Amino acid sequence: MKKHILFSLLLALLSQFSMYSQEKFTISGIISEESSNETLIGVNVLFPEISKGVVTNEYGFYSITLPQGKYKLQISYLGFKDNFQNINLTENKKLNIQLMEASEMLDEVVVTEKLEKLNIKNPQMSINRLTAGTIKQIPVVLGEADIIKSIILLPGVTNTGEGSSGFNVRGGAVDQNLILLDEATIFNSSHLFGFFSVFNPDAIKDIKLYKGGIPARYGGRVSSVLDIYQKEGNSKKFGMNGGLGAIASRLLAEGPIKKNKGAFLVGGRTSYAHLFLPLFDNDNIAYFYDLNAKLNYKINDNNNIYLSGYFGRDVFAINKVFENIYGNTVINLRWNHLFSDKLFSNLSLIYSDYFYGLELDFVGFKWDSGIRNFNIKYDLNHYLGNNFQLNYGINNIYFKFNPGEIRPNSTDSGIKREKLIDKYANELGVYIDSEHKVSNNLTLQYGIRLSNFIRLGQNELNVYQDDNPLLFNEELQIYEAIEPVDIQKFKKSDPIKTFTNIEPRAAIAYAFSDNTSIKASYNRMAQYLHLLSNTSSPTPLDVWTPSGKYIKPQLLNQYAVGYFKSINENTYSLETEVFYKDIKNRIDYIDGADLIANNAIEQDILNGKARAYGLEFLFRKNEGKFKGWLAYTISKSEQQTPGRTSQEPGINNSKWYNTPYDKTHDISFNGSYKWNEKWKFAANFVLQTGQPTNYPTGQFNYQGISVPLFDASRNSKRLPSYHRIDISATLTPRKNKTRKWQGEWVFSIYNLYNRKNAASIAFTRNQDTFVNEAIKTSIFGIIPAVTYNFKF
Amino acid sequence: MKTYITIIFIGISIFFTSCTDVIDVNVPTADPRLVIEASLDWEKGTSGNEQTITLSTSTKYFEKIESNIVTGASVKVTNDNDDTEFIFIDQNNGKYTTTNFIPVLNQSYTLEIIYNNETYIAKETMTPVVDIAAITQSTEDGDDDEALEVNVIFNDPKNEENFYFIKFREKGGLLPELYNDNDEFTNGNQMTLRYEKEEDDDINQEEFKPNDVVDISFHGVSKGYYDYISIFIDQIDAGGPFGTTPVPLRGNCTNSSNPKNYAFGYFRLTQVIKTSYTFQ
Repeated sequence: MKKHILFSLLLALLSQFSMYSQEKFTISGIISEESSNETLIGVNVLFPEISKGVVTNEYGFYSITLPQGKYKLQISYLGFKDNFQNINLTENKKLNIQLMEASEMLDEVVVTEKLEKLNIKNPQMSINRLTAGTIKQIPVVLGEADIIKSIILLPGVTNTGEGSSGFNVRGGAVDQNLILLDEATIFNSSHLFGFFSVFNPDAIKDIKLYKGGIPARYGGRVSSVLDIYQKEGNSKKFGMNGGLGAIASRLLAEGPIKKNKGAFLVGGRTSYAHLFLPLFDNDNIAYFYDLNAKLNYKINDNNNIYLSGYFGRDVFAINKVFENIYGNTVINLRWNHLFSDKLFSNLSLIYSDYFYGLELDFVGFKWDSGIRNFNIKYDLNHYLGNNFQLNYGINNIYFKFNPGEIRPNSTDSGIKREKLIDKYANELGVYIDSEHKVSNNLTLQYGIRLSNFIRLGQNELNVYQDDNPLLFNEELQIYEAIEPVDIQKFKKSDPIKTFTNIEPRAAIAYAFSDNTSIKASYNRMAQYLHLLSNTSSPTPLDVWTPSGKYIKPQLLNQYAVGYFKSINENTYSLETEVFYKDIKNRIDYIDGADLIANNAIEQDILNGKARAYGLEFLFRKNEGKFKGWLAYTISKSEQQTPGRTSQEPGINNSKWYNTPYDKTHDISFNGSYKWNEKWKFAANFVLQTGQPTNYPTGQFNYQGISVPLFDASRNSKRLPSYHRIDISATLTPRKNKTRKWQGEWVFSIYNLYNRKNAASIAFTRNQDTFVNEAIKTSIFGIIPAVTYNFKF
Repeated sequence: MKTYITIIFIGISIFFTSCTDVIDVNVPTADPRLVIEASLDWEKGTSGNEQTITLSTSTKYFEKIESNIVTGASVKVTNDNDDTEFIFIDQNNGKYTTTNFIPVLNQSYTLEIIYNNETYIAKETMTPVVDIAAITQSTEDGDDDEALEVNVIFNDPKNEENFYFIKFREKGGLLPELYNDNDEFTNGNQMTLRYEKEEDDDINQEEFKPNDVVDISFHGVSKGYYDYISIFIDQIDAGGPFGTTPVPLRGNCTNSSNPKNYAFGYFRLTQVIKTSYTFQ
């Protein structure tokens, strides 16, 4: 029924706009990089005289329809020389344009050269874009450029400290971020428990982080979207680049399969084994590697195909008694097809999986778990007029969850093979989204997404009396599991539980002038998958579980209002935003919940809600020798898990409590200074409120052991404030200009003044003195590093 | 095609360690509560008539604990089947003892303590334990391939859920080592509980050597106690990296006069095998 409404709405819109399109002509094409034919995302295609313009999509395509006439066309993009064209529009025109890099320096994309007035008028707010070049300039620990370490310098983005997986956006949890790599979902974004992210910066083309106002084409997570596109490969000439670093080395090769038609790209990255030797004692191995491979082929002007793959693994082994392997695999086939010069389509077939394997020799068991999904996506961009664009599409994902399998690792192990019950689900999304320029000052973006989630049949499903899997023992005041009364059997095709949600999205931008605008947005989103985790930050072992009979989908409402100003021809820009969001059905865990190898997770969870609100402030200098930004966020992120009846305490006596990633204040500064062609310097400064934690309120002695007591409000204490400065210097030898081989040295110092930032505070009894102690663990002290990057 | 194959190796200098420091923090203080250590452990093959219950109160976290013993309480345990009462006599040192307790397997008992005019109640069932099949030593098992460990081996009974608790204490050692386990993944099979010490200079710990003696208490416990001791063991070192959020440690002792003022500790009734092992 709803689909019918959408469809008729679509038809109505189409017919309406085709009426206006008489005596108008369409100009469309692909914008790419001159040196490599790499398509460029987000390029501004502007008609300055009439204040019209359009932005290239994820495949470099643009289309705009204008009345017959003569126009000046300006094409501008970060780090590239502007391209000007004079157009005499008397017929539909195909105009593919190649841009030249503004600087010939190594892989470096110099931030904004020309103002992006469109951004002032674009209703898309709460978005941050970074290019590979920007990321590579940011000094990071051990000199290894890193996407996630870079985005946490932006306002509203934090993580729970060094060595924690993932990132938190606007007070949201790590599992609420939709991470897309070439449109495929990535389930774990971290290598080595969060020390590095899984994305090889050499293979990355473009990164967008949506913190709010999320367009209808995205769905399935409630906090943010990190949309990453990898390079397609150079179809003009063969080239290689890479780097040798303190912790990892990278090598990437790309080149034409058929000149100007097809290209390949193969990249690999690996860290050195025995990396974390000092972290533990003796014989152990800890390393990661990842591989990126891509092929693209331009069949003709209207058809392009892309095949891409990603494979990454982390390997830990301690003393041959503990072995742990985990990582993501992604295979993705995409087909771009132009139905007309106004209708662009992309079909994606995606397989992705996350695998986690563990072998504990001393317990005698092996453990495997994971999540697999098959994803079909069909997205269309319909450029109906110069003031109106429609994006619509459909997306279907089939999931298979393996919550875990335990096997004995040898014949003398007492462990019995135990397969936790596989779970299956299907998630369907249909959306339509419009970008509508109402007047020169007023632009709207509105859309709707219809999501449908079916939890499919599984071998065995527990059935409980009154559907209640959890008993509150009023006498002892603790929650206890209830034994199931029955076990239901299903076929894989049987739906167990179906959820359907309508997710409206809307955004408005009103520009007072070319330099100042206000924007507001609202988005509602549904999330059907949950990461089960009750540690202070997620670990790779945490298992994803689908919504179903006992777990409801998380539902978000987010409201944001912002003020945007570009100062002095965009030399400086100022962005301020206020946001408020609430999330229904955020689960939390009863005391003592054991989430590992748990076949009846419903016996350990309580349903609650979450909310977050805050103010973000971002001041950027976009041009000149000195560039950078200062970001400040003040925010609050809380959770409430009330009892189901007034007799029950829920969690934290049903009162609101801080989420483990609540950071009241967060200041980050990133700056780079280009001294001359040879030397460039960069620095970061970060100052944040410490992470919420718990301090004991007392102790008691039992079994001859003193144990700390935790009776206070959950997460009400804080670790000490977190702050540090990092600096880096990049040396590009002058002789580079005259030769093919281009190298650069990056010298960096992380945590310059060796601040021992607390990653955690543990409370324990000193075994010598028998006195209780608070023990602070800090991970990275001062770390100098050298990286050598090369390209030829 | 380019001909550069040469790769230049880069030397790097890093200190790269995680480090720990003892720091000063101001911790909040909750009002003290009664702590009930009522572990009625019936050693297999004995009459189990001698039993002790220890009462104390909780203290501030950074305070020496020994000062807060509880005297003047009245303590009794009742057999729920025949209402036999066992009165525990105040020894004026925080301990309350009886010499006429009669343990009955799978029998439920009620503990009643009256202290400061408030009545604390707990109920628990005497849980049996299986025999130890063997105690062995080895080096190749455990976390460290070369360090000695002691293995307590037993056969889990089929057709029932079993929960185990074991306490190892090295002769002359200060702190016991506690482990718990269940048969969820090993039902009906042979199970092993293991104690190994790794060398650790930070806490002056050495590996086991020949002639070291370890005392072993091996208990069968109830599901409730298993859950309790799991959280307890978890929270002995609370708040480490990747730690779970610490929670209030509620045992099975309720306060019927003033429910909010519940007691810490546990009323446990277990059958136990006590033995010791000398490393060869």
